Amino acid sequence: MSDAIPTIAEAARLIAAKELSPVELTRDCLARVHALDGELHAFVHLTEERALADARAAERAIMAGGPSGPLHGIPIGLKDIVDTKGITTTCGSKFLQDNIPDADAACAGKLAAAGTVLMGKLTTHEFADGGPSFDLPAPPARNPWNTEHFTAGSSSGTGAAVAAGLILGGIGTDTGGSIRGPAALCGIAGIKPTYGLVSRAGVAPAAYSLDHIGPMAWTAEDCALMLQALAGHDARDPASASRPIPDYTALLGRGIKGLKIGVIHHFHEVDHKVSEGTQRGIDAALASFRDLGAELREVQLSPLQDWAACGSLISMTERAAAYEEWSRTRLGDFSERLRSRLILGALVSGVDYVQAVRRRRELRAELQRAMSGLDVVLTATQPAEAAKIDAVPKWDLFDKPGFTMPFNVAGYPAISVCAGFGAGGLPVAIQLVGKPFHEPSLFRVADALEKATPFRSQRPALVSDRVTA
Amino acid sequence: MQSDLNDAALDYLLARAGLDPTAEQRAELKTVHAALAAMAERVRKPRGRMAEPAHGYGFAEEDLA
Repeated sequence: MSDAIPTIAEAARLIAAKELSPVELTRDCLARVHALDGELHAFVHLTEERALADARAAERAIMAGGPSGPLHGIPIGLKDIVDTKGITTTCGSKFLQDNIPDADAACAGKLAAAGTVLMGKLTTHEFADGGPSFDLPAPPARNPWNTEHFTAGSSSGTGAAVAAGLILGGIGTDTGGSIRGPAALCGIAGIKPTYGLVSRAGVAPAAYSLDHIGPMAWTAEDCALMLQALAGHDARDPASASRPIPDYTALLGRGIKGLKIGVIHHFHEVDHKVSEGTQRGIDAALASFRDLGAELREVQLSPLQDWAACGSLISMTERAAAYEEWSRTRLGDFSERLRSRLILGALVSGVDYVQAVRRRRELRAELQRAMSGLDVVLTATQPAEAAKIDAVPKWDLFDKPGFTMPFNVAGYPAISVCAGFGAGGLPVAIQLVGKPFHEPSLFRVADALEKATPFRSQRPALVSDRVTA
Repeated sequence: MQSDLNDAALDYLLARAGLDPTAEQRAELKTVHAALAAMAERVRKPRGRMAEPAHGYGFAEEDLA
């Protein structure tokens, strides 16, 4: 097998030049799965036969007529709250151990239509909330940079699988940070697109008005390639936006000279002070942006605690409503962590919920004003390097406000990219936020940082240590 | 939302929600409820009665076809 793990963009170029076979690429990924996933637990269901069949079909088509696009023949995985026709979709829950959907979710169908190779279903917190949990049918995913540590969640398997090269890209979902958190702690890129850009049809809900579907991959460029296939109107999703879809890679490589980047210093320096390693990563990223010719501006928003309160109330209440029937009839079958959150969410009054939704409108207007004249804004993604997996507080949402929820509240697109390595050699990240439907600007800035720094050349040590030719 | 949740209030809220948690879960609820109440207080800002919630309702192209 090949030692190097290609990005999607690199693999696509090699496949188009007929220098890399999709079957060979898939076998390399499968070899890494077999070598590493016993420890990582990134997959809940490996679809090896399907993957090889997809790869052979892609190879035949490419040999006959060339690739249909950059995802043709690329091994991917899907978070296990994404419906897959004929393939078990458990949502990480005891409730759905035998659930076999009769149709693909919209995002699964779009990636299949783009010619991807489906490697399997990836570990998630139960119904995308509450983990890590050790009382579920499948164990939580572990961080490839140090398997004693957490991946963050809830798209935990996608984060671990991409970082370790088990897949080249995958689907995550994000209600308060579930794409960007695992992307940050696993040292990869992950984007929560603008609310409504990617259809939620066929994906289990966490909180209807905060749920986003998006790609996770090794680089921002790879996320752009995946988003190209995923974006678009879908009448089955009541929140789906109907807008023209731009070329998400169009601005890559154009540099960022003259772009205006706002920095929400008070979020990560005052409201929730980040670790030294994370602050070093942020400072280094800002220095890189300055060197590349961007202009940095100070941005002031309401305290992070206001955003967290608004988002958490909405999230807990909508989730309690979504899972009310099972909560009333089979409460004991939920994991202990999710069960506690569901009960608490059911205690929020209707008036409390509406006050939170009124606050949401104010906060979104505030972000809109703050971003006037700016291209993107920047803050932390996570407060620190990954914690040990057995030391993750159950009520972390009350302990300290998260950095990702504000942009679920606002619905604005936000991407997490690796900004270096901190304590214990664990990854740290920055979060970039764009204006609604301005994903190309986000990819432009994120890609510029990745290309100006050496962090994309380093994979977790366990990949080279455990995977042999 | 009251932050000091007594047993009678908790009983009422749980009955309204149709939930029947264990004694251990009830005890935990009483310890974390104050944090939830603080969040509910935090979203209450001075605003007139005309301030609308974020979830507007509009008609999609499909409605108009």
